[in-house]
Amino acid sequence: MKRTVIGRRSSVFGFVLCLTVFALGQQTPIALKDGKLLTVSHGTIENGVLIMQNGRISAVGNSSSVAIPVGARIIDVSGMTIYPGLIDSEDNLGLIEIDAEQSTNDLMEPSDEIMPHMHVYDAFHAESELIPVTRLNGVTNAVIAPDNKDTLPGQDSFVQLAGNSSLEMILVRDIAMPLNFTGEQRHNDWEKRKFPQTRMGQAAQLRQAFLDAQDYAQKWADYEKKKAEADQKPDPKDKKTADAKADKKSPPTPPKRDLKLEALLPYLQGKRPIVLAAEEANDLQTAVGLAREFNLKFILNHVSHSQPVLDYVASLKVPVIVGPIYEDPKPFERYDTVYSLPAQLYKRGVKIVFASYDAHNVRNLPYQAGYATAFGLPYDEALKAITLNAAETWGVADRLGSLDAGKTANVVVASGDPLDVRTDVKQVFIAGQEIPMTSRQTRLRDRYADR
Amino acid sequence: MNRIAIAFSLLYLSTFSLHAQQPAHNEVVIKNAVVMTVTHGVVQSGSVYIKDGKIAAVGESVNAPASATVIDAGGKYLTPGIIDSHSHIALDDDVNEATSPVTPQMMMIDAFDYQDKAIYRGLAGGVTTSLLLHGSANMIGGQAVVIKHKYGLNRDAMLFPNAPRSIKFASGENPKRVYGSKDQLPSTRMGNFAVQREALTQAQDYMREWDAYNAKVKKGDKDASPPKRDLKMDALADVLRGNLLVQIHCYRADELLTEMAIAKEFGYKVRAFHHALEAYKVADQLAANNVAIATFSDWWGYKQEAWDAIPWNAVMSMRKGVRVAIKSDSEDFARRLNQEAAKTIRYGGATDDEALRMITLNPAWIIGVDDRVGSIDVGKDADLVIWDGYPLSSYGVPNKVFIDGDIYFDRSLPGFGMTHYSEGQ
Repeated sequence: MKRTVIGRRSSVFGFVLCLTVFALGQQTPIALKDGKLLTVSHGTIENGVLIMQNGRISAVGNSSSVAIPVGARIIDVSGMTIYPGLIDSEDNLGLIEIDAEQSTNDLMEPSDEIMPHMHVYDAFHAESELIPVTRLNGVTNAVIAPDNKDTLPGQDSFVQLAGNSSLEMILVRDIAMPLNFTGEQRHNDWEKRKFPQTRMGQAAQLRQAFLDAQDYAQKWADYEKKKAEADQKPDPKDKKTADAKADKKSPPTPPKRDLKLEALLPYLQGKRPIVLAAEEANDLQTAVGLAREFNLKFILNHVSHSQPVLDYVASLKVPVIVGPIYEDPKPFERYDTVYSLPAQLYKRGVKIVFASYDAHNVRNLPYQAGYATAFGLPYDEALKAITLNAAETWGVADRLGSLDAGKTANVVVASGDPLDVRTDVKQVFIAGQEIPMTSRQTRLRDRYADR
Repeated sequence: MNRIAIAFSLLYLSTFSLHAQQPAHNEVVIKNAVVMTVTHGVVQSGSVYIKDGKIAAVGESVNAPASATVIDAGGKYLTPGIIDSHSHIALDDDVNEATSPVTPQMMMIDAFDYQDKAIYRGLAGGVTTSLLLHGSANMIGGQAVVIKHKYGLNRDAMLFPNAPRSIKFASGENPKRVYGSKDQLPSTRMGNFAVQREALTQAQDYMREWDAYNAKVKKGDKDASPPKRDLKMDALADVLRGNLLVQIHCYRADELLTEMAIAKEFGYKVRAFHHALEAYKVADQLAANNVAIATFSDWWGYKQEAWDAIPWNAVMSMRKGVRVAIKSDSEDFARRLNQEAAKTIRYGGATDDEALRMITLNPAWIIGVDDRVGSIDVGKDADLVIWDGYPLSSYGVPNKVFIDGDIYFDRSLPGFGMTHYSEGQ
């Protein structure tokens, strides 16, 4: 059979080969030949060739026009569909292993609502068993966020789901900071008598945090200014002034460092985006108001029950992580209110991306995109929402998100339509490496298969 | 409503009080559909004739009177209504009476909130029948209620008429956590099963007392005094007499075996293991005991006993002869069980027919209503779904849902898309 090279039974072979390629420094080019290429950036190539070399895609095109380098390993992928590795725009991979087992839980610090100095990269568990399970379905990259039960739970990291350590896997540290304002962050009940209990309290607390950070920034600016003055070399021609300076100006004392406030500074300076999470229209407007008050650069998250204000959402001209579309509608909403949200936003010109918001079930990300097409989202936009749109939103489109020469070779070979639940992913390449198509789950399957 | 319809309704009301508010049934022909029958293949361009709420004919063409309402399916797929064999919707969070590990006297119908919109959302996902179960806090929970998703009708009109009674058992982490955290028995799996055996043993004693009393009465002993009635023991005695279908929440392979051994010891049958995420490890034994499973397609890792879950479980178990259902156990999954079932095509290579069976005929068997629903066969209830897109894919969405021959949901309608409900009702 032509396609056995890519089938399940070749996994051991594939793994050995992967090690060999690694030992050789990935010099041997790999050519995927005669597949259907969904490039995302420039349409579908029915009878295409894709070449990977040194961890990157070196050529993409029609079989007749792309020359396969001498010495390349040629993999026949006829009948297969090839597409870029999928990107999940928010999940908790590497922060949790078993939900109910507290010892495996590094999702969030519940001790305070304002925890911007928590960094996902400090907890990300590269050897989580969930990661192979995830990438086996073609998800190769993800934005890892802390749990959303704090208003400011910490900072996200952008990861690649293969590598020898978290250092290799984390591509961008502190890529963004979630600001959650969905009502779910109210974990102080009446009994606890602890601030904040309400949305008013949370908004005030957030405002104070950003004000404190502004104040902190000012203190450091003042200090730097004084320090610069103190450090200024006395002008030898102006003996008098120099003497005076030496007399009066001792070096200034630096302000005490505050990691919490320091963590907010890149966001106050607009250097990185806030991921602004709200579901209902009132929360959305409060959250956007806060962001505007402090000139924060932001993208939106969820907007699941903001249907009455979608034109307003569109007017903000920012990308939206939409969903999850499986979020239950409110009792007064029609059954498909949330399912059709991606289509509604797309119609209004909003750039949308999808997220699993999960850990164990990240592999199902493409099905959410598929389901959205059943409620009006054009197919190409659905695929873009988990590839190129996501790469652009997270500022990594130079490396990821489409099948283009020069990009990282995160490439998926599957039996068909990436968004359909029936499709079997046959082989995943991450940075040109042929990923062993095994996980804890496949090992259990194989162990009990022939009993 | 015309006079005939009124007369018919009156007749109906007087005959079957349970069917109060049930609309009069029209004769309907659904034509030009790809009919996925479940039991006898796919009719590529088929018709279904519905009379008195039942399927009266299925085939490439059907003989129906000219007066029948004709619905042209326009080449769309037609399947039986989806059946969810594990649900906790419409109970207003009254799922667990977690005050004792043995509560077989709980009746879920007492908590059934027929106005819960989750019933509507399931209906819009093609679900026509659900088994509403007690939760898994107790080793022996309460007795289930079977509903049809006739949203907009009154409570009793939504009950599945004369459905067999089911009782929920549970094992593993949930009971030991619930009671262990209160420093009560059980807090271990040993404790779990001891509690279960203890309760069943008491029921045996209770049955003996009643048997002795009944024997005395039969002999004409006028001085015989009846034992005290105990609702708990009544229910458990019905388990031992085989009058209740036993539905057991159970994850681990060893516990599946233990539950079957206890059933054998006390002489009752396990109808189905629910969740059963490790069924693939002991599928031969499940098949040998004719025990079904109601499982998730690919959900895993949410607790220790779900750590060995694999998405191939359904198909691996099925290939060993186990009757497999894919169930929701969630408001969310209940809205797209077709997509969940379709995953078995990818994970293990179920045929489309086998995948569809996991959300229709097999769950119907688990509930004990497979002679009445779960396939498109003459004589069965006309619970049917016309689909936009292919049902066993990412793209299948119900277009119209029929229950007992009447449309309850129609996607093309404005508002909620319901025919028997409007907001404010």
